[in-house]
Amino acid sequence: MAAQPQMLFEKDSVFIHINVNSHTSDKDAYIPGKVYLLHKEEGHFIEWKAEDVVSLDNHSDQDWAFIGSVGYKPDREAETGSTKIDLQKKYNISFDIFDLKSFKRSAPNHGWAYIIFILKDGTTYPALHFHTGGSKALLKELENFLHIKRSANDSRLFIIQDHDPDMLSKSFDELQLFSDSSGDLVSKFIKDPYTTTLGGFSKVTNFLRDVLMQPEVSVSRPREEVAELLQEDIPGMEISHQDEPGFEVVTKTRLPKRPDVSRATPLASEVWSKHMDTDGRIKDVDQIKEVIFRGGIDATIRIEVWKFLLGYYDWSSTYKSRTEERKRKVDDYFRMKLQWKTISLEQEKRFSLLRERKGLIEKDVTRTDRTHKFFEGEGNPNLQVLNDILMTYCMYNFDLGYVQGMSDLLSPILVVMENEVDAFWCFAGLMDRVYTNFEMDQKGMKLQLSQIHQLMQFVDTELCSYLESHESGNFYFCFRWLLILFKREFNFPDVQRLWEVLWTEKPCKNFHLLICLAILDSEKSTLIENKFGFTEILKHINDICFAINLDESLKKAEGIFEQLKQCKKTPSHVKEIIGLQVTPTRSIPKSSSMPNTFGREGSPRLDLPIHLRENNTSAPSSGSGTAVTTPEDSSIEILPENTEQSVTLVCN
Amino acid sequence: MRGDSGCDRVGVMGNLQFIGLLNWSSENGEDMSGKSKLLKVVLLGDGGVGKSSLMNRFVSGKFDVQSFHTIGVEFLNKDVSVDGDNYTMQIWDTAGQERFKSLRTPFYRGADCCLLTYAVDDIQSFKNLSMWKKEFLYFADIQDGMNFPFVILGNKCDVQNKVVNDSDIQEWCRLNGNAPLFLTSAKDATNVEKAFIAAVLRLKELEDFIETRQTNADTVDLKKKAKMTNNNSCCN
Repeated sequence: MAAQPQMLFEKDSVFIHINVNSHTSDKDAYIPGKVYLLHKEEGHFIEWKAEDVVSLDNHSDQDWAFIGSVGYKPDREAETGSTKIDLQKKYNISFDIFDLKSFKRSAPNHGWAYIIFILKDGTTYPALHFHTGGSKALLKELENFLHIKRSANDSRLFIIQDHDPDMLSKSFDELQLFSDSSGDLVSKFIKDPYTTTLGGFSKVTNFLRDVLMQPEVSVSRPREEVAELLQEDIPGMEISHQDEPGFEVVTKTRLPKRPDVSRATPLASEVWSKHMDTDGRIKDVDQIKEVIFRGGIDATIRIEVWKFLLGYYDWSSTYKSRTEERKRKVDDYFRMKLQWKTISLEQEKRFSLLRERKGLIEKDVTRTDRTHKFFEGEGNPNLQVLNDILMTYCMYNFDLGYVQGMSDLLSPILVVMENEVDAFWCFAGLMDRVYTNFEMDQKGMKLQLSQIHQLMQFVDTELCSYLESHESGNFYFCFRWLLILFKREFNFPDVQRLWEVLWTEKPCKNFHLLICLAILDSEKSTLIENKFGFTEILKHINDICFAINLDESLKKAEGIFEQLKQCKKTPSHVKEIIGLQVTPTRSIPKSSSMPNTFGREGSPRLDLPIHLRENNTSAPSSGSGTAVTTPEDSSIEILPENTEQSVTLVCN
Repeated sequence: MRGDSGCDRVGVMGNLQFIGLLNWSSENGEDMSGKSKLLKVVLLGDGGVGKSSLMNRFVSGKFDVQSFHTIGVEFLNKDVSVDGDNYTMQIWDTAGQERFKSLRTPFYRGADCCLLTYAVDDIQSFKNLSMWKKEFLYFADIQDGMNFPFVILGNKCDVQNKVVNDSDIQEWCRLNGNAPLFLTSAKDATNVEKAFIAAVLRLKELEDFIETRQTNADTVDLKKKAKMTNNNSCCN
């Protein structure tokens, strides 16, 4: 029987904020709890428990039984009841302090102090916000056990030094790190020549620092075989390493300073109506899009504006033509819905492809946003709507069918539209933009992953080479971001904001790739200084969902765009990814732009092993043979858009 | 330091990070039985059979009816002790849909065992077990499939409408190297821990078997040994 845990530290009013970016003052967005430092038989543990369930006496053995596990999955007991406290309990945290790798503190000017704990395996917990103080006291307590150093590159980041008995005594010297005066920070670094040196070098050249850290990295990284093979093993995905890496580093282009950009308020209802003429035509589409890009859309008029952004209504349409269009769309929708609705069970028995899709959709619909109030609860009728729209989309685009991830894309749209037909057509409009993400050959995904690589190679050589040397040059960890446009990384209001910004196609094509770069830039010190390898990077990136600041990321992404636009040496392949015109000609001959933009990934070559193709045709469960377009077709699809975009940007 | 289990633990972690699987003695000079070996476990099966739920049940002891389907790949670690040996099981969970095959299969490399999962109320997921096995063996690049530790999980055994016959699945297991079979329920926790631990036991059993054979013939597939060599070379 385990002895009673000994409490070394306890602090209440420590909150987890669910809606980190939400501007609303939603009280449910803060989960109150208590944080503890406990000495148990198994070791020292930091725990956080939602307030109403915290009472040391109440802990059954079950509560402590799974502490051996590493890896954060919200602890979900909401199975039976869905009382608030049950839902909140899933956020409970418990970890052995010796699994701790680093932590991030809030910026000094940030309202409530918070701490984000990051474990050795990359597990990243939600920020703990100390509403009534106590974060410093907890960290001081931790210093009795751990040797902690502040990062030289990111003043908010603290790294736990690898355990070494000699270090333990030294660690007390570092206590002052958490003293109030941040001014003596510099002297701390002077006391520590190693860090200072590293920091200094990094200012001279990032390359040197990389080299310096290299030996340590290879020693402390856990074994990993998957990853070294990963790059070559994603068929059809090619990572272009620099031809002459050494040369590249020396001549590394300095980007101009990243400009500060600002965000603005959402497009308001009055502004929107003012932009319409008497017939209901939008007068200045570009200006409207600029407003939306800069601040998004007020929630009350999303239901209308999204229809324009998603091609449901034409920007040049009138009140009258829109009424007609809507009627047409209603008829068309129900015609297609009837097609699958009228297939009898008998027919279905001989229609395996449809049966499969129906099964897949059913399974995924019951697992889509079930904690959102629009979809929560047993037998929620909105699930049926979600299901019917996806089934009808199968009839609308039978070649593509249903692919996992689509339900994620549909759900925020349905929440805004609250209408089956409208949601369907808006979803279809969104799918027109991103269907290559879902195609059989996954070429669209592979292209984007390699484009992120190409962008980062130019924008941030240091992070790029770090990732490359840690088996992450394939950027696989961005897969979920790209497939469903960050849907699982942000809460609903933020996803909706982000999407409408992206749909303006401003300030450039593929702006979402620059957002990826922006988020990774914010995580750069955490990844590099924790010496994270392939698995830790993957886990950390998976775990930071709901902890990404949307506005900051948008600003940073736009800043990166401005840098690329202003830099005279931006290579043409980088320019082409974001649709910056290479030469100011209005017409791009297909022959000249094709090989550069799509030469690597767009070629019809897909290196699937022979047996895979066989597998595709024989495997009964596969949605195979449904590749929508031939490779040539898809290139053609992309090209005109590219041309248009370039022209628009030149005109700007 | 004696008696401070916290320090013991960091020793274990340090060991894992620095010298992998090699023999090691505690920094405190204590006799450590706690060398922890990293085991990579891959969880495969059709979409919706409950792979993520099984993983979460095993690792965190929880079941969430409201969970999402997996996009991309995820993994969780869990420390276990089997027959006095300590392991860190690194469990990989991937999206089951055919479409994402090319982005899923690279993660099979270096797997120590594979849990093939179907749902007892989904006949197709049972029929696809062979496909999953084939896909795994091909992409994990395993020559000797008969001696690779597979464990078969028939999940959702708590449901009423079972459509997969016990005899059918038993026959399938028999034809597939007598892979151990567990009827599990991530929902009510039935057999979940047993099944994951069985994967470790199966691995040990087959390793012993291969080692025995290895002393007799040089041509036997030495997948495990080849891996060890790789480790050493990257951790020197």
